[in-house]
Amino acid sequence: MSRLTTILAGVELKNPVIAASGTFGFGKEFEGYFDPGILGGISGKGLTLNGSKGNKGIRVCETPAGMMNSIGLENPGVEHFVKEGCKIMRSTGAAVICNLGGHSLEDYVKAAELLNEADIDILELNISCPNVKEGGMAFGMCGATASDVVKRVKAVTRFPLMVKLSPNANDIIEVARAVEDAGADAISLINTLLGMKIDVVRRKPIFNNIYAGVSGPAVMPIALRMVHQVCKAVKIPVVGMGGISSYTDALEFIMAGAVAVQVGTANFANPYTMPRIIEGLEKYCIQNSLENISEIRGII
Amino acid sequence: MPVILQNSHVSPEVCLMTIKGLTGKAGQFYMLRPTKVLDPLLGRPISIHDCVDGNCSFLYRIAGKGTSLMSELRAGDTIEAYGPYGNGFEPVDSDIRLIGGGIGIAPLYFLARTQKALYPNRVIEAYLGFVEKPFMVQYFRAVADFVYVRVGGYITSDVPFEENVVNYACGPVPMMKAAKEEAEKKGSTLYLSLEAHMACGVGACLGCTCPTVSGNKRVCKDGPVFLASEVCFE
Repeated sequence: MSRLTTILAGVELKNPVIAASGTFGFGKEFEGYFDPGILGGISGKGLTLNGSKGNKGIRVCETPAGMMNSIGLENPGVEHFVKEGCKIMRSTGAAVICNLGGHSLEDYVKAAELLNEADIDILELNISCPNVKEGGMAFGMCGATASDVVKRVKAVTRFPLMVKLSPNANDIIEVARAVEDAGADAISLINTLLGMKIDVVRRKPIFNNIYAGVSGPAVMPIALRMVHQVCKAVKIPVVGMGGISSYTDALEFIMAGAVAVQVGTANFANPYTMPRIIEGLEKYCIQNSLENISEIRGII
Repeated sequence: MPVILQNSHVSPEVCLMTIKGLTGKAGQFYMLRPTKVLDPLLGRPISIHDCVDGNCSFLYRIAGKGTSLMSELRAGDTIEAYGPYGNGFEPVDSDIRLIGGGIGIAPLYFLARTQKALYPNRVIEAYLGFVEKPFMVQYFRAVADFVYVRVGGYITSDVPFEENVVNYACGPVPMMKAAKEEAEKKGSTLYLSLEAHMACGVGACLGCTCPTVSGNKRVCKDGPVFLASEVCFE
């Protein structure tokens, strides 16, 4: 056991720092900067049953201290992941988290069944993608629909099930309680906040879907508040994310109750962000005589 | 942290920055961002304009907050520079023609200079189009055998796309679309260096994909240089 060793839903992570889905490919893209094996885990690009070409038009744009994206879950599909993607992720040495989105209840269930053939550690159920027209975030907007999909997937998957929540839900605490009751082993939050940007010269929305997901340091206070509220409301482990770009940001989430954190947008701004966060947390533990980072978990 | 050796305007909207200790080949790019700020958050994908003695220079247009802050940096300041990214231009065994529109001329100069140094007997033609006042034309005159400049309108309408010359174009999308159409009519080979909104630069975020005849490709990782015949403009 090192100072940063973390147990998430029965899975041992080297440290509580996980690459967030959609920001780290399947684990190899940042290899030129650091060995991805130092990470606690990697959540792969969000999959859908049959894959998708994603959205047309502009897909990313910058916002003050943040960005918006409307990728639309471009991905090679579950079958490809079972054959290749999960092996690439496994070869990194970090815990393998498979992020799964869907357009219908049947899609989620069928994909989860197929994924039983894959070599992964945790299944992260994405019921919070704001950028697909059908399904996606719709499942995470209220407790009843979230509960349905979690129950169905939990019944078929052989992996610990972590459910990724949307900050755009009517009541995120209600959704968190519903997915816990439905059998989720962990919760991760937040996915991106629904936002909008207009090109005033063209007099048109920047994104073809009009609305898109906002992420980055600008959203961190909102994410932290929601993580704190959810940590108070449920007993299952919570993985916090939303705008983390430094080890002190990660500490805030852990003090708010998160077992681990995910880092996303900040990887784009500086590819060394996650190694620096891990170093910073290690030093913090030493300086504060913590035998394990969990000693400060949920102290707020 | 990379140090800026010089940074100055070559026109009211266009600057040339040289950064110490960077390498790369023609057609590749770096993600550049001012240090230690979270706003703007993302690097700006800027193609290498030249690379001499282990220092890279970047020709960039002031287009928004990020490039505006970059233009205020001075010699001795540091900047975050991640790269070199992308595939770069494919060298060919023939005479070449460069077709640049506005700031799109930036990567073409590096290609011209390195090709001329390697193959002094091959002919390099440069067709450069500008909306208003031309810039950096003298750089091209120093390395190309023929330089044609047009102000206003479409530079592509002046380009003879004969078969035995390989064409390289970089510029606004309408210009590159027109170049693709003309090259296809004449059966001439054309490479395009595409520009796209990017976040990561390493192929992870899929923010910069472009449709091609063989599915979506990432401009940052699979490009930015593509054969025009591969690219499907939306």
